[in-house]
Amino acid sequence: MTVTKLRWTILIVSFFVLLMGGWIGINLGGFLPTYACPYVGGSRGGVCFLFRLQYLLGNGSPEAFIGLGKHILYFSLLVIIIGKAWCGWICPLGFFQDVLDLIRRKLHMGYIRFPERLRANLGCIKWIFFFIALLIPLWVAHPIFAPAVARDFSQPYCQLCPGKHILPLLLGDTNDVTVNFKSVTTIVMSMLGLIFSVSLIVGAFLKRRFWCSYCPMGLLLSWYRKISFIKLKKDCQKCTMCEACYNVCPLEIEQVFKERENEDVTFPDCTLCLRCVEYCPEDGALRATFLGKTIYRSTSKGFFARQRIIPLVPDD
Amino acid sequence: MTKETDQLQRRKARFVRGLANSAETMLAGLEENPELPEGMHYFIDIMRDIFVKDQEEHFSNPFCRQDANNRKIIGTYCLMVPEELIYAAGAIPVRLCGGSYEASSIGDEFVPRDTCPVVKASIGFTSLNLISLYQKCDVVIIPTTCDAKRKMGEELSKFTEVWMLEVPHVKESEGSRRQWLEQLYALKKNIEKLTGGRFVCGKIRRRELDSAIKMVGRAQYEARRLYEIRKSFPPVIPGREAMLAINAYSYDTAFEWAKAMTGLNDELEDRRDKGRVVAGSHAPRILLAGSPSIFPNWKIPSLLEEMGAVIVVDESCMGSRYLYDPVGITEKSMTDMMVGIAARYLMPCVCPSFAPNEDRLFRLLQMIEEFNVDGIIYHVLKGCIVYDFELIRVEKIMKEKNIPVLRIETDYSPEDIEQLRTRIEAFVEMLETKKKKIKEG
Repeated sequence: MTVTKLRWTILIVSFFVLLMGGWIGINLGGFLPTYACPYVGGSRGGVCFLFRLQYLLGNGSPEAFIGLGKHILYFSLLVIIIGKAWCGWICPLGFFQDVLDLIRRKLHMGYIRFPERLRANLGCIKWIFFFIALLIPLWVAHPIFAPAVARDFSQPYCQLCPGKHILPLLLGDTNDVTVNFKSVTTIVMSMLGLIFSVSLIVGAFLKRRFWCSYCPMGLLLSWYRKISFIKLKKDCQKCTMCEACYNVCPLEIEQVFKERENEDVTFPDCTLCLRCVEYCPEDGALRATFLGKTIYRSTSKGFFARQRIIPLVPDD
Repeated sequence: MTKETDQLQRRKARFVRGLANSAETMLAGLEENPELPEGMHYFIDIMRDIFVKDQEEHFSNPFCRQDANNRKIIGTYCLMVPEELIYAAGAIPVRLCGGSYEASSIGDEFVPRDTCPVVKASIGFTSLNLISLYQKCDVVIIPTTCDAKRKMGEELSKFTEVWMLEVPHVKESEGSRRQWLEQLYALKKNIEKLTGGRFVCGKIRRRELDSAIKMVGRAQYEARRLYEIRKSFPPVIPGREAMLAINAYSYDTAFEWAKAMTGLNDELEDRRDKGRVVAGSHAPRILLAGSPSIFPNWKIPSLLEEMGAVIVVDESCMGSRYLYDPVGITEKSMTDMMVGIAARYLMPCVCPSFAPNEDRLFRLLQMIEEFNVDGIIYHVLKGCIVYDFELIRVEKIMKEKNIPVLRIETDYSPEDIEQLRTRIEAFVEMLETKKKKIKEG
């Protein structure tokens, strides 16, 4: 089984577990570092970290504060084990984007690539989302100004998150796909949420893993990349700078092929989908390691097999 | 008037004879080797057809939708011209970089004295039609690499239709990569126009381009197999044979070449497993760096291997680097294929006309390790400033690795051959002694 097939399998399985696991009694907890959306309802198999983070921050009580510590601790443990593989291998919203991408590919349509400058400018979006998720709940907990507005700001990021609209919709639940007319705040937030959802669907169809560059969860996860067990490593001497890794990268990370000094090339945006390792034509130039042990490395043969130039032999 | 043409004809005939003689001597020399692999005959025959008999029979393109009389031949220089696009349009790419002494002495009349012999020979071939191949090209594509190649485009346009292909020289920047991609889209359009209009049979379609990438990829896979085989210790194929086989790709189509190469590789792998080697483990293993040796200029490879050394690898654009880097695509959309092709022809190329060109040093270091190299011959063709420039850097890193480097500056003329022989002999002897010392501890 190739890595891509393995990844698809895991993505599909986790999609069903996270979105429908509840029906068979699966509950993985409320601190999952992935978009296990609570708005899916009773069928959910776990809850997204950000949901409870905002809930606990917005609660403001001492118990909630202790709960917050535990919450972050469990979350950190999960992230340290497999790092951002949560994004590339498990995230249901990532899976949804990959499906849209697959449809585009089957239609033989090209993808869009943003210029570097635009990408750098858009990089601030995830920070904005992150601060929305962090600061607004604190304001809700301690409404020192405009308490009437604060009241309607529960789980502010969730209101904006495309997952809230798209994931329930995938299960046929249309309740969340509306504008909430309760107050001006809810109208604005739910409108923005709908806009983001639509842009995700359109964006992911035209650009590979469109949303992942703006996801605040990805930002949180990327902070653990130095201590996480899974790492992407590069042998700079073996690299020919052929740019293949950049062209296959769904997140379009340039630094991997440009890196000429450091071995560790797990860059913040990297979702560890390992496509770069698959499509690297040099023996051992790129490899994925788990606790320092190589679990997957690039091979010249593997490259030519995946390009369908020589017959594909099951190698991994 | 008639007298002049007559004189010209006689002069041309003299050059043609000279070229045929020197090429034949070189090829016959290779054939004399009793250990010559069966598979090599195909490549030697290609060279003989082109340079001695002056005929080409090998050209066929599986994607060609025109009849044989209407097929287009596109001449290319350097290795930045995407063959995949040419094949997909149904035309045939031929690499024209010249290596003939006779042609270079004709070229002398057209260019400044200090121009490199590759350019001189290419102009010589085109201007006098020493071999018919140059005349058969419907168009010639010249990438703007080094100064000489760039100006050569201007000179050649007197004789044939020339398309310049602008290669950015700082390849890391996003802007230059984008500009390169634009260039290739424009080139694609031009090729389509040449092969029969955008809407008729010459259009480069997605499916054909994909097959063309695979076809060239197949040849690259075989070239890489040969590359791997040359790593074996002790060596199973002399460098000049391997280099000739790669060089022959210039005048053959990817499909036929890959087929012949598969045979040669199978044979060589078999020999390797049986322990049939061409030189003992004491023979110095040489990396031939610097300017390309283009057939029939087999001066340096012949000299080196006559002295008992073996060229295990070279880094020239006519040798190991010619077919090394493949096109990597993951989807069959035109966008992705064009992006993949653009990347392949620009990014991994370590032609010294790029700056910065640190990658080349990394590559040389990797070759030293992989091929167990004992010494480097740094070949500088007279006038090839860019390769000469990088010598200082190469010497510096190789000093750290304790690998001796010998710089040899020469051109295509046979005059300095005895002098070179002495220098190369001394170098090879020095390497042998050094190897012995290491062996004895």
